[in-house]
Amino acid sequence: MKGTFYWKWAVLVLSVAALVSVGCAKKQTVKSEGAPAAAAVTEAPVKEIPPAPVAVAPAEPPPAAPGVAVTEEKLSQFDDVRFDFDKSEVKEDGRKTCQVVADYLKKNPKAKLQIEGHCDERGTAEYNLALGDRRATAVMTYLVSLGVPKAALSTVSFGKEKPLDPGHDEGAWAKNRRAHFVLK
Amino acid sequence: MKRSIGAAAGAFLLALSLFPSPAFPILYIDINAPGGKRMPIAVADVVVDPGDPSLSRGIPKILSDDLVLTDLFDLVPPTAHMETVTAAHFSGKPLSFPGWKMIGAEAVVIGNVSARGDLLAIEMRLYDATQGTLLVGKRYTGTPTQLRSIVHRFANEIVYTFTGVRGVFGTEIAFTARSGKSKGKELYIVGMDGQDLRKVTDNRSFNLFPRWSPDGQWLAYTSYRTGAPNVYLRNVSTGAEKEVIRFGGSKAPGGFSPDGVWLYAGVSEAGDSDIYRVRVVGGAVEKVVEGWGLEVSPSPSPDGRRIAFVSDRGGSPQVYVKTIGVAGETRISNGTGYATSPSWSPAGDRIAYTARSGGRFVVATVAPDGSDTREVASATDGECEDPSFSPDGRSLVYTYRKRGYSALRIISSDGRRQRTLVSGLGDAGSPAWSPGR
Repeated sequence: MKGTFYWKWAVLVLSVAALVSVGCAKKQTVKSEGAPAAAAVTEAPVKEIPPAPVAVAPAEPPPAAPGVAVTEEKLSQFDDVRFDFDKSEVKEDGRKTCQVVADYLKKNPKAKLQIEGHCDERGTAEYNLALGDRRATAVMTYLVSLGVPKAALSTVSFGKEKPLDPGHDEGAWAKNRRAHFVLK
Repeated sequence: MKRSIGAAAGAFLLALSLFPSPAFPILYIDINAPGGKRMPIAVADVVVDPGDPSLSRGIPKILSDDLVLTDLFDLVPPTAHMETVTAAHFSGKPLSFPGWKMIGAEAVVIGNVSARGDLLAIEMRLYDATQGTLLVGKRYTGTPTQLRSIVHRFANEIVYTFTGVRGVFGTEIAFTARSGKSKGKELYIVGMDGQDLRKVTDNRSFNLFPRWSPDGQWLAYTSYRTGAPNVYLRNVSTGAEKEVIRFGGSKAPGGFSPDGVWLYAGVSEAGDSDIYRVRVVGGAVEKVVEGWGLEVSPSPSPDGRRIAFVSDRGGSPQVYVKTIGVAGETRISNGTGYATSPSWSPAGDRIAYTARSGGRFVVATVAPDGSDTREVASATDGECEDPSFSPDGRSLVYTYRKRGYSALRIISSDGRRQRTLVSGLGDAGSPAWSPGR
């Protein structure tokens, strides 16, 4: 009988302990030091708020507009302008290509041209994204210097995401460091 | 009788007041001592009443796998356990601590699971077997799908108890990889234990540079899904999105300020990339770093006062540190012709970056003042790139590349221990470790 009373009291104390613990900091841990007779009391575990539900199936935003297949290489009637590693200077070969492009645009004043900047796979993606932008802009600036109206031109960088050649050697890398012309 | 209860309650209150949420737990394991002694720990089979007996071994398995990952513990194999833990051990019956000590355990973990409608009530306790004292006890309530996350939380409690530093179990890594035959890249998330891999985006364009918000609820990233690289904020749970940077050409998010107010990003205008910060709410823009070179990859310090970033103003890309709003920048990368993608440790003391060494890309770390450069991860047959620190600063996730193959690896920040996190996904890269949970 006495024992039953004891446990009723113990349960009550336990509930109080639980209440007190909830009110305190989550991290709080009650130690069992110095009260061996009341182990059940001092060891009252702290209740935690359960974590929020996770992994709800995400609602996907609308897909890319039809016709925008950004991952596909678009064929061009113009050669690519190639660059040295980590460089954006338009070299002699590239200047000849730009002259061909400029002549075409002057003969076709309604044409719109997008210049894509690309990099090889070496180095980190963010730096290459900015480098591709600088390459495309260097080609645009050169075309403007040849008399092409800026309004006919736009740029986009793909960094290292769209290699022309999937290889992993200098031959492939040289092809992938490029500005690519796409008539819109 | 009444008196003894009063004494018990008094003892309880005394315990509360004498030991209020210890600010400095007793340090049993010195995590800074290389090759230090591991804590021998036993994780007993969990008491399950009633219900799924697979939990009995399942929960200890999750917990043991977590503890092994830290390299701080030696697990006493379950076959050596002699005492069967029962429900009575959760209502006053003491464990037979001499028996646990005899099989070599200095710490014992016990657990009790009971079904409460559709929910599980899980109680976990960690005992010091040599003293016979309870070190930490927690009671969790959650759905069966939250089981792993609950066990990870208790693993974090155990690590905190022994080291004073919260564990990183339950955290996740966002990254990019090709999806199937698509040439595009999608965002993925995987648990730091390699479990729960899931695809986040599915728009078949290029989705790049995932960066976590400080509350772990949002990812900022660059997507080409409209044809041009724009930066979006995406809610990880609901999939809700909004465009966040509305100017410039190429844009790549670098990281959030610790208060979540600002998103730092490299943004190109007219071929010149500078570093900006954009208010996540409202969209106000401030230029943070300007220069004639390419400035990219901002990574804020944990106090939000400084950023590490990349600039090629000196002729090759190098890592610099700048105090926000104060003129002057300090180069901190040394002796390497190419240093990119800095990641400031949440512990504040180190900055990791991609360096060039012996014709290979390697992961290095350096103090924020540019001193004490150390190579952490390198491979004789491939490249190690794009480091991102764990929330406790004790580990790094990075990309390993070898020709067409790539994998994500986790390495301790002293470079001593390493494991593969993700392999077999095409071109996996750009990993970002989530904040602590």
